This record gives sequence, structure tokens and C-alpha cells, in this order.
Amino acid sequence: MIRLPAAALVVLLSCLAATGDSGKGKALGNPAAPLLIEMYSDFQCPHCKHMHEAILPGIIKDYVATGKAYLVCREFPLPSFGPRSREAAAYATAAARIGKFQEVAHALFVNQSSWAMTGQIWETVAAVLTVAEQAKVQALMKDPAIPAEVQHDVDTGLKIPVKSTPTLVVTYRLKQHPWDYWNDEGKLFRGYLDELLTK
Amino acid sequence: MTKASCSVDTWMSFSQNKAVRVGVLILRMALGAIFVYAAYTKLAESWRLFAAGIASYEVLPMWAVEILARTLPWFELAVGLLLIVGRWLRLSTLATSGLLLVFFGLMVRAYIKGMTIDCGCFGPGETISWKTLLRDGSMLAGSLLVTVVAFVNHPKPAETA
Repeated sequence: MIRLPAAALVVLLSCLAATGDSGKGKALGNPAAPLLIEMYSDFQCPHCKHMHEAILPGIIKDYVATGKAYLVCREFPLPSFGPRSREAAAYATAAARIGKFQEVAHALFVNQSSWAMTGQIWETVAAVLTVAEQAKVQALMKDPAIPAEVQHDVDTGLKIPVKSTPTLVVTYRLKQHPWDYWNDEGKLFRGYLDELLTK
Repeated sequence: MTKASCSVDTWMSFSQNKAVRVGVLILRMALGAIFVYAAYTKLAESWRLFAAGIASYEVLPMWAVEILARTLPWFELAVGLLLIVGRWLRLSTLATSGLLLVFFGLMVRAYIKGMTIDCGCFGPGETISWKTLLRDGSMLAGSLLVTVVAFVNHPKPAETA
């Protein structure tokens, strides 16, 4: 009887850090959750920064941590922001390979205005990594699989189609719906998720 | 004879031409079917998806968006069915033209402003482009023709002696 809650806790914690094949270290939650939410964002996009800081934490708390949704982050560097977006996406993707995506993504969004202006992306990324992790990420940045993965996310997004960032693509019972309206701070989106979950 | 009355006479003879009557009937049925289909695509999904589409035009407050998202598909369905069965033609064709005029105007506004948003015409997933403008513009032109013919062909009450 005592073991059951402990085992459940272990499963929950492992789920919260789940890194399945889909997303390669950029996923959060239970892969078996009824809803799959794929977030397409650009690290230079100010609306994505707002999403990361103000809207996403609530979605993670109410839907991901509760096992209702599985969240996967996807790269969607917009050409209008220039090459720095793609470079930041590559660093985040490399960091995901060593299990440091959330930390790097957070650092990139929080310090967005700084590195977007100066171009010091690596300095921003390195600040949240140990020396050993920095070496691993630098080595991974030379791997052509990293930009290929970023491009794969972009190509997948374009097919959906993702038209702007941030877009959260909700998959429920094999049906995909991209959602890009956030002027109401996600109120309508949360209602939509609740409606899907009660179907 | 004034220019205005001459114009009405021209419309009368035009709208009573057999080929025109058949053409307008086909046009009316097609518009009705399109409206029924448009309503179906919205009613088959959550009203919130349509609400997000309306809200992205950024012309209405959220409370109005919610009311519109819940009611407009039913209104489209009613108008579409009336067009198909041919009842209350002046009212249904006028409503169709009014709706299409508003939709087209909003789409042109969004296109000019460079907004990359969903048209919202047949459910989510269709971005406003010159193609959607051309399609809705053609529907509006067809609807205006059907509306004019519905009014011109409407039997006038018998004149009293």
C-alpha cells in the first residue's frame, strides 16, 4: 500500500521529464496523454517570449503536469528575423540532445532583447551550462543533423500550415488544429482544450 | 420616360429571359449549397476555433466574437436552406449579399493590412490570399445578381382601381 503512491510519484516525475523520440529532448509530459500540443516558436519573436513567460506556464501546470497533454517544442525560425533566429534554434536543439533544452530555451527567451541586439547567442546559452555541457553543445553544433532537425521542424510546420509564431498545434484523435490567437492571453485556447477533453 | 424607369424595364426584360432565369436558379442553388457547407464546416468543430478565426480579424470585442461564433453558422445554415428551397427569396438573397459584402470587406481589409490570418470561410486552415478574395468576390457578384432578380421578379400587389 505504501509502495503504490511512491511508484505513482516516480512515474509522474519521469513523465514530466519525458523525452521521447518525438521532439528529441524538447518534450514535456506524458506521451500517452490524450492531447498532443506542438509549440512552434522563434526565439527572437517577442510574442513567443510572452507566450513562454506568461501563457505557457499556466498551460504546463493545468494540462501537461496533470497528464492531459503532451507538449513538444518545435523550431520555427522566421526568415524575417534574420539568421540569429536559426542559430538560436540550433543551439536549443543541440542542448536538447544533452537534456538541457528547457534551461537553454528559458535563457534565450528571458535574454531575448540582449542577444538579438548583440548577436551573443553562445554567451547566453553557455551561461546556463556547465563547462562539460558547453563542450558537448559546441561539438553537437558541428553535427549537420542539428540544422537538419531545425529545418525538419520548419518543413513540418509549413505543411500544417503554421503561419505565424507562436502557434500551438493541437492533435486530438489524429486531427490537427493550429492555434495562433493569443490576444486574450490563451483564455479561448484553454476553453478549446477543455472542450476537447470532455468529448 | 425617365432614365430610372428605363433601367428598371431593362432589368425586367433581362430577368424574365428564360436562359437568365435558369442561370439565376443555378446560381441561387449553388450559393445555398455553399452556405450550407460553410455552416457545416463550422458546426462540425468547436465554436472556439471559429471564434479564434473571427477574433484574429481584430474588429470586434471578445464578447461579440463569442456571440457571433456561436450564432453565425446557424444563420448561414438557415440562409443556405432558404436559398435552396426558394422561400422568402428577397429576405434570403438580401441576407446572403449582406453577409458576403461584410465578409469580403473584412477580407480585403485584412489582405491590405498584410495580416496572415485564416479566412474563416470554411472552417480553420485557409489563409486569406488573392484566391480567397477572388472566390468571395465572385460569390458576392453572383449573390448581388440573384438579389436584384429576386426583387425585380417579385410580384407587385395588384393596383387598385
